[in-house]
Amino acid sequence: MNRNNILIHLALAVVLILIAAFAGQLNRWRTQWKSHVRIIPAAEKKRATTSTDIALAESRLKGQAEILVKFKPGVSQAAIDALTSRFNDRVEDRIENAPGWESIDDQDDIDPNLAVAQYLAQPEVEYAEPNYAIELDAVEAALPPIHPSDPRFEDQWALANSGQRGGKQGADISAMHAWLTTTGSDKVVVAVLDSGVDYTHEDLAPNMWKRPASIAPYQDDQLGTIEDEDGFNAIDNAGDPMDENGHGTHCAGIIGAEGGNNVGITGVNWKVRIMPLKFMNAGGFGTTKDAIEAINYVIDRKKAGVNVRIISASWGGTQRSRALQDVIQKAYENDILFVAAAGNSTVNNDRSPHYPSSYPNVLSVAALDRHDQLAKFSNYGVKSVAVAAPGVDILSTWLGNSYEEKSGTSMATPVVSGIAALIVAENPRISVDQLKKRLLASTDPIVALKGKTATGGRVNAAKALQ
Amino acid sequence: MSLSKEDAVEKARKDLAQRLNVDAGAIKESVEDTDFPDMALGAAEDDEMSGQMITSGWRIRLDANGKNYEYRADKNQVRLYKYKGKNYRI
Repeated sequence: MNRNNILIHLALAVVLILIAAFAGQLNRWRTQWKSHVRIIPAAEKKRATTSTDIALAESRLKGQAEILVKFKPGVSQAAIDALTSRFNDRVEDRIENAPGWESIDDQDDIDPNLAVAQYLAQPEVEYAEPNYAIELDAVEAALPPIHPSDPRFEDQWALANSGQRGGKQGADISAMHAWLTTTGSDKVVVAVLDSGVDYTHEDLAPNMWKRPASIAPYQDDQLGTIEDEDGFNAIDNAGDPMDENGHGTHCAGIIGAEGGNNVGITGVNWKVRIMPLKFMNAGGFGTTKDAIEAINYVIDRKKAGVNVRIISASWGGTQRSRALQDVIQKAYENDILFVAAAGNSTVNNDRSPHYPSSYPNVLSVAALDRHDQLAKFSNYGVKSVAVAAPGVDILSTWLGNSYEEKSGTSMATPVVSGIAALIVAENPRISVDQLKKRLLASTDPIVALKGKTATGGRVNAAKALQ
Repeated sequence: MSLSKEDAVEKARKDLAQRLNVDAGAIKESVEDTDFPDMALGAAEDDEMSGQMITSGWRIRLDANGKNYEYRADKNQVRLYKYKGKNYRI
């Protein structure tokens, strides 16, 4: 073999070794990919318990940056910026509560798997994975979400948070995906136990409950016969529940302002039946006795054949009442879910109870702002507050065909009541226990709620309907 | 009837003058706009339930006989906050 042949064979051997090495590296990348990349199913996401797990789960929400990269400890921000710049990428966000993790926006829009491989090959990188959208099953996620025609829908961040007014994109209840399953049903009745409802409001009137002719007027041993065509007024023991304050009208709109009607806003339910109950006066306050009367009315109507499955109670106080607790228990035994506001005093209800939200068999609701933070006013309690829902700057119906933005756990409560109504629309025979469990099991974990509520999560309508 | 800030202050001064049996003119006042945690202005009476909505109103601080008293008001109501340990709707 002459010198030239030796050189040629050596060159071929080097090329073969390089090919083998490259193939080996590819295989390692593939192995790393298989072991590191997890598409977290909803059930697993629910089990996320650490702040890091929750932060990562949150960061995978739809519409956010494309890959998540964890850099090794000690890698400077300048080095990170240099690396991302080299790949023509951009650091979209540093994930708080998950040290070292960066959310990377791939500006070339290459296959996320290739982008992940690029980063995994870098010595500064400990871990990388695509940013999967994971809340919905593939079929549902592939469908375009339903966008209602209501002109002020864009202001309803609780239903669809696109980051409007500086909010956090995706910090919402996933209503547009929930509506792929159902937009509600006029067979489901939600009692709004409040200051009454302006049942003439143009965005509410089509969804107001009317006592069917087949059901007799309300009879009470002490009050006599009450013509309750439009609901019940426990202050005057009469049949007219017209709202003189606005609070009840606001809550009613959150649950069920008519959707897709080219008017104002949409409720969580486009179609539903709102049963207005008035026990708070023009000032927005009332007595425990009148609240009890109104709950008794709901139970009576349920027994008479009205499909009232939820009582939405955006009110409360610190005075305990055994009578109120007992009547709420009675409602529960009649398959009616009682949803109540946790309160607005920034206190821990585990230590300082708030009623009725702290009674057994009540689903207590805290408030979130548009950044997925617990509202600064919201009560909380890992034992006594079940879930959280959007409750700051919530646009809804008000007196005189108007609309206003209001804040409070009052506003978070009807969001949950509304989701409960969607669940019942889709599952008419669901028991109150199952309904409550469904709501608790379908929340999105939120860092700010860890140790603050029993579920540590924000309610998610789309998940609740899966 | 919708109360103005001035109406609310006047109502509070009159109430305190009657409670303490002093001349309303001798009561000093300071008023600030504020948000209250609920529709009973964070000053619910016993057995009272209120809407859990943040409510804009006025904190009225009155000074009489060398002591301070707090009233809370909005367009719907005036309340005396923790007077001898209890809240009162005026």
